[in-house]
Amino acid sequence: MSDTTKAIFTGDRCLSCTSCMANCPVMAAVKEYRGPKLVAPAHGRMHFSQEDVEATLEFCSNCKSCDRACPSGVAVSTLNMLQRAEYYKKHEHLRSEDMLAHGERMANLIRKIPFGATFSNIGMEFGKALGVFSALGLAGERNMPAYASTPFKDLFGRIKQTPTGKKIVLFTGCYINDNEPQVGEAFVKVFNANGYEVLIDKGFNCCGSPLVVTGFLDEARQHADNNVARILDWKKKGIPVVTPCTSCSLMLKEEYHELFGEHEMHEAAENVYDAFEFLEILQERGEFNENLKPLNQKFLYHVPCHLKSQAIGLPAQNILEEIGGVKVQTADAGCCGISGNYGFRKDKYNISMKIGAKLFERVKRKDFDKVISDCGTCRMQIHHGTEIKPVHPIEILAAAYD
Amino acid sequence: MKISDLIVIGGGLAGLMSAAVAASRGKKVTLLTYGSGSLPLASGTIDFLNAEAPDAAIKNLPAHHPYKKIGLKNIDAAAKFFCEVTAQDNLPYNGRLSAQIPVVTAVGTLKYSALVPESMDASRLASKKKIFVAGIKGLKDFYAKMLVDNLKKYFSDKTFEIVNLDLELLGGRDITSMDAAQILTGNEQILADGLKKLNATEDDAIIIPPILGLEGNSSRAEVKPQLRAEIFETTCLPPSPPGIRLQRAFIKYLQKSGVRIFENSKVVRGIFDGKKISGVVVENAVREKIFPARKVILATGGFYSGGITMREFENPKEPIFDIPVFFPMGENNWSNKNLFENRPQGFSMTGIFTNENLNPIDEDGKVLFENLHVVGANLGGSDFIFERSAGGVAISSAYKGAIL
Repeated sequence: MSDTTKAIFTGDRCLSCTSCMANCPVMAAVKEYRGPKLVAPAHGRMHFSQEDVEATLEFCSNCKSCDRACPSGVAVSTLNMLQRAEYYKKHEHLRSEDMLAHGERMANLIRKIPFGATFSNIGMEFGKALGVFSALGLAGERNMPAYASTPFKDLFGRIKQTPTGKKIVLFTGCYINDNEPQVGEAFVKVFNANGYEVLIDKGFNCCGSPLVVTGFLDEARQHADNNVARILDWKKKGIPVVTPCTSCSLMLKEEYHELFGEHEMHEAAENVYDAFEFLEILQERGEFNENLKPLNQKFLYHVPCHLKSQAIGLPAQNILEEIGGVKVQTADAGCCGISGNYGFRKDKYNISMKIGAKLFERVKRKDFDKVISDCGTCRMQIHHGTEIKPVHPIEILAAAYD
Repeated sequence: MKISDLIVIGGGLAGLMSAAVAASRGKKVTLLTYGSGSLPLASGTIDFLNAEAPDAAIKNLPAHHPYKKIGLKNIDAAAKFFCEVTAQDNLPYNGRLSAQIPVVTAVGTLKYSALVPESMDASRLASKKKIFVAGIKGLKDFYAKMLVDNLKKYFSDKTFEIVNLDLELLGGRDITSMDAAQILTGNEQILADGLKKLNATEDDAIIIPPILGLEGNSSRAEVKPQLRAEIFETTCLPPSPPGIRLQRAFIKYLQKSGVRIFENSKVVRGIFDGKKISGVVVENAVREKIFPARKVILATGGFYSGGITMREFENPKEPIFDIPVFFPMGENNWSNKNLFENRPQGFSMTGIFTNENLNPIDEDGKVLFENLHVVGANLGGSDFIFERSAGGVAISSAYKGAIL
């Protein structure tokens, strides 16, 4: 990959063909948004003064459907995010944006208070009931993700592993660490079953995705620099970094380099794997543990947008179908609409639910045993839109190793 | 990665059609796309050749023309299969190979195609007395007056009336036909009410931009029964609803048939086993991934979509398998003096040559890869734009490539 893949260079390849417009879920949901083509590739390069801002830039959810639709490899959504960062150099952030961007900081603060997670979960219930969310600019209709009583990083020390020569580092991401540590536990079980000892690195930050989409680009850069340095350290030791969160993996593998253009970001990216991508590579080498207990279940698979962007096929479907009696049906219903913290904003909630409507309809047909999806916020959105709680595919695989 | 019976590279019309045909025959198919393909930019009509009777004209083509390798029987079968796919999504097409159907363009000229969405089939326009043309308030790129001025040249005997409809589209961005189609989906009554007020009779026609929804025929089915006059959609500037409807019909067909579609998947080279291809390599941001296959169809398009590239003049390349590319040598043969002339453009003839099985061949006519078939705009030897055969060559070569 050459440096010309940095987003700002790709803008010049735009032919204005409108493929991105035909595939943008936000445009389909709302007529205020002028669309990917006009916002970043056109206006992003052709505004004439600092005050000349494209007002509808705020509508982009960074789902990356435009990037995938583009026949010319333009990093449309990343250009939008760079434009957003420019905008916030001159404009104040909203309080809701500050909160949604800094989930990691919030979680760390709460963990310092005894029983902080329990109280803050209760507080969130009250806050929601009293309309505090709405006043802060958050979508009052939603439950905020509840904090787990023990974050994964603390829980991890209690998991007994047999040391082996083969090691990988688990990049948990915020959601698994703070909200769904059971996904981390399933991950460890699966990798142990495949002969790998799992390490964690408490020095990793949030990947920065929530910061990028809310225009805190300087902070995202600090996260990138820290994470990239650590990934490179692990690379030197020959230990891959693996994550079950598809938005984290996309950020680490591709978006750092697109946004900031440093060569070492790409070097680090080569040491980062999606969890099932890694397992599929093991399978190709004949090293995958196929001693799986039959489950005889049918799964509906919502493929996250940020997985589609990675061009790694659908490794979770391939691997899960190795389990006896397992059938994985893709939902084929497009973007779920939540797109990270986008759907948590009060003014974007309705758009987010409108985008997700087709998926909700599909899920409500209930012609399966469980819904699976690799992305934490996709799972939250499906749960919110259908009252059916999805699980991470690695939880299914872990059950087959019982 | 499990082996596919067929990997199709390219998500344009030829790629979608190949995948659909193979899947209908029980094959395990993987479709790899990079970019969404050009259907959202296309009119949705399928031209076979610019001739009153395309099938008769095909018989008279020179032997090197792709149609001659595909054969009339397969061309006919492809047209039938295409119509079955669209019919499954409630998107009826009219037409046959032995005649052409007129379509009204956005600027009021008539364009003739062999296969036409029912909603655009303007065959009966000639028998009407009065033609209403509906301009839509706030809609970009549709000028009713210009359309009427041009259409009058074909139908000087008819009365024309321009009507302006307010479909409450304003209050946001500039509205394209795609936006209007999206907004009207499920809200068709406002259009039906506006058109009913015209009191148009069975002797009249109403021409509207293509705003009757983005999926199948359902929006049209809401409006049409409420009107006595016939209603026709025109073509439009992209993004184009008729092209989007066609693309969605195919994608739904593929999803129902279990075809795995992987987006953003740029194929960079093949894995070779003698004269066979055993898989293709996809390059993502950080590493490569091999997709094994028993057979491969190349449907990456011509110059416009990167299926053929030319970094140095007179040295065009097929970038994935490095297949030799036919090229009309010499600067004088490269392009005509004028953009529109009564003969093909040299650069447009550029492409891959094949045998009867659409296997790529070298300069000596020897087959390069036995299980690789080249379809659509990758094929060389004729100017599909000049002869107006791009859609027909795409679906019929795709059909043949898939059944072999």
